Amino acid sequence: MSASKRPSPSLSLLLAASAALVGNRSARADEAAPPLQSVGYRFHVYDEDAFPDRPVIGSPQRYHVDSQQLALSARAGERETLTLNAVHEVMSGSSPWYLVPGPDRRPIQVLSGATIRDHRNAIDVALTHDAGGNDTTTLDVSYSQERDYHAAAIGAQRSVPLSSALTLGFGGSLSHDRLRPTDAILYGRIERAEKNTWSTFGSLSLVLSKYAVVESGLQLTLQSGYLSDPYKLVTVADQQIADTRPDRRGEAAWLVRYRLAATARASLHADARLAANSWGQHSVTLELGWYQELADGWRLIPGVRYYAQDRARFYAPFFDHADGRYFSSDYRLGAFGALSASLDLRKRFGHWELSAGAERYHAATRYALGGADLADPATVSYSRLFAGLDYHFD
Amino acid sequence: MRPESRARRLWLVLAAALLGGCAATPVAPWERGRLARWDMGWDPDPLQAAMDRHSHFSKEGTSGEIGAAGGGCGCN
Repeated sequence: MSASKRPSPSLSLLLAASAALVGNRSARADEAAPPLQSVGYRFHVYDEDAFPDRPVIGSPQRYHVDSQQLALSARAGERETLTLNAVHEVMSGSSPWYLVPGPDRRPIQVLSGATIRDHRNAIDVALTHDAGGNDTTTLDVSYSQERDYHAAAIGAQRSVPLSSALTLGFGGSLSHDRLRPTDAILYGRIERAEKNTWSTFGSLSLVLSKYAVVESGLQLTLQSGYLSDPYKLVTVADQQIADTRPDRRGEAAWLVRYRLAATARASLHADARLAANSWGQHSVTLELGWYQELADGWRLIPGVRYYAQDRARFYAPFFDHADGRYFSSDYRLGAFGALSASLDLRKRFGHWELSAGAERYHAATRYALGGADLADPATVSYSRLFAGLDYHFD
Repeated sequence: MRPESRARRLWLVLAAALLGGCAATPVAPWERGRLARWDMGWDPDPLQAAMDRHSHFSKEGTSGEIGAAGGGCGCN
């Protein structure tokens, strides 16, 4: 970087937050415990599989994202902890645009011709007050910025012990998002749009034994505003029109999480989620993880995940007739399922911890809930690699 | 079988598997050493969990978690 180059807004935010933490530290220098508790960094490489050998119009190369995460955790009072998470992502590749019927009515994917290049910066600051005995209150503020998308959110959550074994959790959040799609006039896209997301949750966690805990919770989410994808078209009666979705969506998700200290050096994680939304989609998610501590500070964490959903009421690869008000061929609203496997390896030495891992996510229409009539060629599989470094001051 | 009923059955089987035979017994504070371990947390590595959620959220039509949802992004 040249001497005259100014730091980016995200870097400035990060430096300001770091300076605030350092200032806090000097003000509390007389106390024994260091105010800075931990610092963590991760680098992720996310790469979507290119389209296989089938008729494709446009570039077959799909999204590639390089992500960096930085996290700081510091004491901000006698019982308060401040955590800061910053993310910087660089995205490139082609995005599915619309589908057209092929000679045998198999969908043919049309991708955005030009390679998209964008970046995202996000910051999240949370303040937690710990009153002791699982009684905590957390306030959270976050902001995410892309060239064409801004999202600001606030949230709060409480954890209240009801007995020595039972803890109640509840909270909520509000996100306000603003869109300004690029090349809006050139492609006839909406020029400006907004959407709001309200979310609330409640949960109960229960200590089952000396070795096991379980938590069950319900999350309700309501979105309103512009919920279509401004970059997607849909084929309706042989014409391409804008992706058109309802301007409201309600969603409910019921989750159960279970942790079992299977041995003195290993634990089992089992998570499950059942979700449904007002667009007619249902999904099931099952996740298993095994945390194995090895000799000399090594840890191995294999995991598997299964996800399956059915399609939204107004989804189809293409529409023969213009019946109805809403049309979308976004593969994320179609029926599909995904199997993924991950492996993390960690090594702790002193206050430092090195980590590295990989995830392979394979999605296919045949894994969908209830199957699907037509395979959407845009259904995506990806690979992800990460490496990280953490320092714990305590 | 309709997708909804298949999902319901999957959920019931899962809930039974997780909770079956697990009656809660009183656990004294000095018996909670294993429960307090790092690997027994709901999200032992919050950074990794956040990136996992972000990847899945951007690819899938439904989402949900226990906790405040946070902000959106242009990925979905």
